[in-house]
Amino acid sequence: MSQLATDMTAGAEDLAAPLYIAWQITNECNFACLHCIEESGPGKAFADELDATKVFDVLGQLMDHEVPYLSFSGGEPMLHPRFFDMVEHVCTRGAQLKIETNGHYLSPENCARMKELGVKAVQVSLDGASGLTFNRMRVRGDFDRTADGLRNLHAAGVPIEINFSPASFNVNEIGAVVDLAHDLGAYSFYTGRTMYTGNAVKAWRHLELSDEQYDRFFDVLRAKAEEYRGRMRVHFHEAGLLEELRYRLRHPAALLIVLPNGLVKLINALPFVCGDFRLQSLDEIWANFRRAWRDPRVAQFVEDLAADPGKTRTLHQWVYL
Amino acid sequence: MQLAKYVKFRTEKFGSVLFETRSEKVFTLNPTATAVVREIEAGGDEAAIMARLKDRFEDRDGAIEREVAALIADLRQRGLVED
Repeated sequence: MSQLATDMTAGAEDLAAPLYIAWQITNECNFACLHCIEESGPGKAFADELDATKVFDVLGQLMDHEVPYLSFSGGEPMLHPRFFDMVEHVCTRGAQLKIETNGHYLSPENCARMKELGVKAVQVSLDGASGLTFNRMRVRGDFDRTADGLRNLHAAGVPIEINFSPASFNVNEIGAVVDLAHDLGAYSFYTGRTMYTGNAVKAWRHLELSDEQYDRFFDVLRAKAEEYRGRMRVHFHEAGLLEELRYRLRHPAALLIVLPNGLVKLINALPFVCGDFRLQSLDEIWANFRRAWRDPRVAQFVEDLAADPGKTRTLHQWVYL
Repeated sequence: MQLAKYVKFRTEKFGSVLFETRSEKVFTLNPTATAVVREIEAGGDEAAIMARLKDRFEDRDGAIEREVAALIADLRQRGLVED
């Protein structure tokens, strides 16, 4: 390491603006996945989602502050009526954009348009190596259509990232899913522990894994990471939520989570809201975000999780800081 | 030489940050390193970048040249710049 650069986790405290915006642009979804932490689904758009004028005002602020990296997710982001206009706005202003989609709208035409606009990557959830498991997890989803969408992305030359959420009925397919991701042209594969929140609370008896199952799951992933080294990045988050949150208390990432109605969350796995784009500017929200991480209620909630891990079921009961 | 395709650069009060968006890794740079990355952004091969920096910082004893070479090697090894 030279003396000139320092490698660090994105420390929010010293930065003039966020480095990463994860924007859930709508809560509407054509799927109703068993484990969806946002409780998205058909007819689940928020009644107060931002209108187009406000959406482009926020995007303008983000671009003016040189936020380098955004993701659009949902719900299903491609259902947003101004989806491609938003993509074009971000890409033409020079930021890098990732789309997190269920893959159902990845027609050859849409993939070609993403390539033309310069989308950095498209992340697709592939929660099974077959229709039997995928369709069970991703209710209303269709494995073959998602796989076709991934093939369309690959043919168009759009970089592909695959995500996988483990459940009791798909965990034994993990090796096959990694292989499939590579066969479909992914450059990155990511997984971790499925969270007990959102829809997962109701479906937990179908999803829950034992410690032994998780041990075997991560053993397979370690082997696959080695097998695909240099060809596809296989990465996974083995630590539990509590460990992650304790780390974030000390090192908040320079990341804002924006909800479809413009509210801004401190981090996805906590119930705290630290801003509102309907009422506040990015500068105001960013200042409050940095203060909010030091609010004693945040540390207290994390420590309460240690005593009651099931407290994650309350993440949608938002607390305003 | 240029910043790699998935690397974004932003000036900050303390210097700057490089953000590698594929790995989502962030690198903070002090003012001197920031000056080097600005020259990389301005374009040219390593020799041209080095010449401009030596000129700008009046490199009498070769210290600037060694530091810049080390930084560029570091950036290259991390995949943050490409030729």
